[in-house]
Amino acid sequence: MTDFRALTSLLANSAVEFIIVGGTAATVHGSARLTEDLDIVYRRTEDNLSRLVRSLAPYKPYLRGAPAGLPFSWDERTLRNGLNFTLNTTLGALDLLGEIAGGGDYEKLLPHSIRLQLYNIECYCLGLERLIHVKRAAGRPKDLETVAELEAILEERRRDA
Amino acid sequence: MRRQDEPFEPDPVIEAYKRDVDRTLIRENLRLSVEERVEKLARLQEFAEELRRAGREQESQK
Repeated sequence: MTDFRALTSLLANSAVEFIIVGGTAATVHGSARLTEDLDIVYRRTEDNLSRLVRSLAPYKPYLRGAPAGLPFSWDERTLRNGLNFTLNTTLGALDLLGEIAGGGDYEKLLPHSIRLQLYNIECYCLGLERLIHVKRAAGRPKDLETVAELEAILEERRRDA
Repeated sequence: MRRQDEPFEPDPVIEAYKRDVDRTLIRENLRLSVEERVEKLARLQEFAEELRRAGREQESQK
């Protein structure tokens, strides 16, 4: 089970630069759908890779779904040589995304993000409109149902405004 | 690129799914703070875990 509170607090308190995206972002905006992992887009500067590695190291990050015993080294080099990582940690499932389809990387997404006060920490979360945009751009069948709910949320918010 | 306030281009599949979206749940969630929404997700995840455990136990008794 994913400890969303512990993961977001850990990353924020370690000064990791990240933006919450995916199902958790949808929850932030009012989605009623269950998600079981935390998806974040992380900034790919050297400093931020170091902070990410240091903060998560004690929580044994490992590739989710990979056969046990597959060599996997949690370090800056691994992050630098890859882009998106689907991980299990002792705090739960965490997807580290260097970029997302239809949205781009951290720098491209930041102007479309909102600043949250969550569990006494501050962090960024992708805004609802951009979340809809990237889900539409992903174009997967499962995303269409998600988009429907997100667009309904947008309509309800505009109705109340 | 579409402006922020412009509506999204209608997609027939999305519009079809939208008809089945339970807006009462959305309205309830919109009354909650962001933190309350995330805590609700955590409780939902715990419930899902318990449901799976109960399902596995029931299967193993067959």
